[in-house]
Amino acid sequence: MAKLEELVANEDNRVLCLGNEAIARGAIEAGVQVFAAYPGTPSSEISEAMNAAAPKLGFYAEWSTNEKVAMETAIAASISGVRAMTACKHVGLNVAADAFYSFMYMGCKGGFVTVVGDDPHCFSSQNEQDSRWLGVSAQFPIIEPSNPQEAKEYVKRAFDVSEQFEMPMLLRTTTRVSHARADIQFNKFESNYRIGELEKTNRFACLPALARANHPKLLARMEKIKEWLPSSGFSIIEGPIDIIDYGIITSGISYSYVKDALKILDKELPILKLGMVSPLDERTILEFAKDKKNIIFIEEVDPYLEDRISALLIQNEIIPKIHGKSSGITKRYHELNARLVSEALVKVIGGTVSSVKEIEKSVEDTKDFVPFRPPLFCAGCQHRAAFWELSKVVRKDKGIFASDIGCYSLDPWVTDTILCMGGGIGLANGFTRVIKDKPIFAYIGDSTFFHTGMPALANAVYNKANINILVLDNRMTAMTGFQPNPTEVIDIAEVAKSMGVEYVVEFDPYDFEKGKKTFEDALKHEGPTVIIMRKICANEDWRRKRRIGEKIEVFHIDPEVCIACGTCIVQYQCPAIRWSLDTNSKGKKYSVIDPTMCTGCSVCSQICPVEAISKVDE
Amino acid sequence: MVDTYQMVICGVGGQGILTISDILTIAAQTKGLHVLGSEVHGMAQKGGSVVTNLKIGEELNSPTIPVGTGKVLVGLEQNETLRYIKYVKPGGTVITSETVLFPISWKKDKAAADKAREKIREDLDKFEARVYFDAEGLANEAGLSLAQNTVLLGALSQVEGFPITEDELRDALKIRVPAKYLDSNLRAFELGKNAVKKNI
Repeated sequence: MAKLEELVANEDNRVLCLGNEAIARGAIEAGVQVFAAYPGTPSSEISEAMNAAAPKLGFYAEWSTNEKVAMETAIAASISGVRAMTACKHVGLNVAADAFYSFMYMGCKGGFVTVVGDDPHCFSSQNEQDSRWLGVSAQFPIIEPSNPQEAKEYVKRAFDVSEQFEMPMLLRTTTRVSHARADIQFNKFESNYRIGELEKTNRFACLPALARANHPKLLARMEKIKEWLPSSGFSIIEGPIDIIDYGIITSGISYSYVKDALKILDKELPILKLGMVSPLDERTILEFAKDKKNIIFIEEVDPYLEDRISALLIQNEIIPKIHGKSSGITKRYHELNARLVSEALVKVIGGTVSSVKEIEKSVEDTKDFVPFRPPLFCAGCQHRAAFWELSKVVRKDKGIFASDIGCYSLDPWVTDTILCMGGGIGLANGFTRVIKDKPIFAYIGDSTFFHTGMPALANAVYNKANINILVLDNRMTAMTGFQPNPTEVIDIAEVAKSMGVEYVVEFDPYDFEKGKKTFEDALKHEGPTVIIMRKICANEDWRRKRRIGEKIEVFHIDPEVCIACGTCIVQYQCPAIRWSLDTNSKGKKYSVIDPTMCTGCSVCSQICPVEAISKVDE
Repeated sequence: MVDTYQMVICGVGGQGILTISDILTIAAQTKGLHVLGSEVHGMAQKGGSVVTNLKIGEELNSPTIPVGTGKVLVGLEQNETLRYIKYVKPGGTVITSETVLFPISWKKDKAAADKAREKIREDLDKFEARVYFDAEGLANEAGLSLAQNTVLLGALSQVEGFPITEDELRDALKIRVPAKYLDSNLRAFELGKNAVKKNI
């Protein structure tokens, strides 16, 4: 990660950083004054960088409770004339959609940029949504950088374009841009911070009559951008333009794959790279395509360019052969890479990709052998303890378990559903209406509780839903990198009580018997219950202790007592415990605790049926 | 023009994979080379399989490395080495620790680790240049069990044609590693380097 001093230094410098940090630097160089965001992979490092830089440079940044509040915070700043930005992951933009859609009718004053991080391949997400469609339907101009350096430049550019046309901008990245690491050219900047002022006009009130008047104005602004686009430098044509047999149209990270794929094939073909993907640079596209016999679209996930540009070509009676998702040269799911793109190109232009059969053969062998290594609860994680206790009280087949988005999504024992942020309590509400013979559980983390859990809880109280809500309050937004959230200052138990929940208890999941009893008691209660596990994230606490050199009281297993029953490894699944490589005096394998991973939570010692596990010093 | 040097670093979340790629990028940048890497954050990091791709050179485009094109693979855990070995091109170099971090899918097979050792030896035989050593043991010998990644870095410094020299890597270590851990890391680096001299 870039150092904070580098990130805020007003100097021309080459700095090693992530794509997301480059985006933050772009915003800093553009003089952004208000930044608000809710974390979400792959966008979180933008917000981390902005929150770290803000006090150094004197602009405002916050961790908001959700993406909608974040966007509204930034919108207010923009219509008051200052530059503002928000950033979120793709599904976060859905949460902000209500504000996102109507904002365009107002138009902006201070430059406004929303960064959305899409996640082709679902590295850390529940879907592969292509946010360009949201941008188009909300009538946002959309720009798509192809690498971290360009991301920085585009952000800077976006603020100018936004002010020039009074239109908020959407900058779309994907994981491979956001989490690429490169040496990036930073530039000097002038931060001419403005004083916010809200013009008294009816432009900013989205009432029906005003919205009716605003819609054609917004379309007119879009037309102006379209006219300006060919001269903007956002569209780049490269390669041997006199070749008429083939032309490639691409954008974003896919452009960089095209470049490397052509290197692999040792070929040169004309390429049209679109930096702005909505509105379309129609004039440049038509000019590029008009004589081409074949147009090849290279893009990830959805056929966005392909569908829109194919329609444009037909409207203009240009009918080349179209290759892309429709012809199956690339798939409509998962990410691309240089090799996949070279294989796609070969299907159109002929030839072969040099053979890697030998490697592929060995890959096949290895694939069957390499063990699956899914993400797991960390060693000592209190969520594991809580779910273990819950699963001992209500077996998976005897209850309904609606989980949510957060570390607790990793529960291996009971979870039935995971839908969206705050969706656990919402689904649980619905399950009570149709499932009558099983207790219904929802679980949610502290950050998600404040994000979208509260309205669902209010609904459960108001509509008398008989659900049990487990709040896994680990004092931070852990999954996305330990960001702070309102649990620091707002007591979730008090919130639940003030909403009218009668059964509100807190419990310590490391106490195995007490944890079980808490769930048993909750089951007896009519109406919604809220059970709060309030304990600082075990991983963060462990890392803090190691940082300051505090002693961690680790546990060990007596090889002679251990009967290798697997309770700690097979059932409890603590990653700090594994089977021994050697054998004990009876010639049997036994369980071993890795002292560098053990956090000393003690749960394994409580559940071991033969009491083989104890503190190292005892 | 300098040929692009493509490498893969893999292991299990928490082993210091991102730190290795940090040190390599610092060293490359200091030398005036461009770097482009790709890593995965968030959920995939939690005790899961972690891989970073790194390209060092002049004209760099896409951040990921296709199958069969990496010049070197550095593995901090042998199962992960097996998982990503397909990214190394024929004639490339594989440097891996024999460390085994127990994957949950092995929970029912008490002898899985033994079988994995045999399998990796077989697979590694396909590569002429290979190092398979007890990096964890050497890290402990250096006095810092977490410095396994630096042991591997020391080994990497001996790979023929690697674009960054031993001294340049040491300088980058000094920039990246906190002062109180520097001595043990430098020891780990030497141990890794010497182990390879015997091995490669």
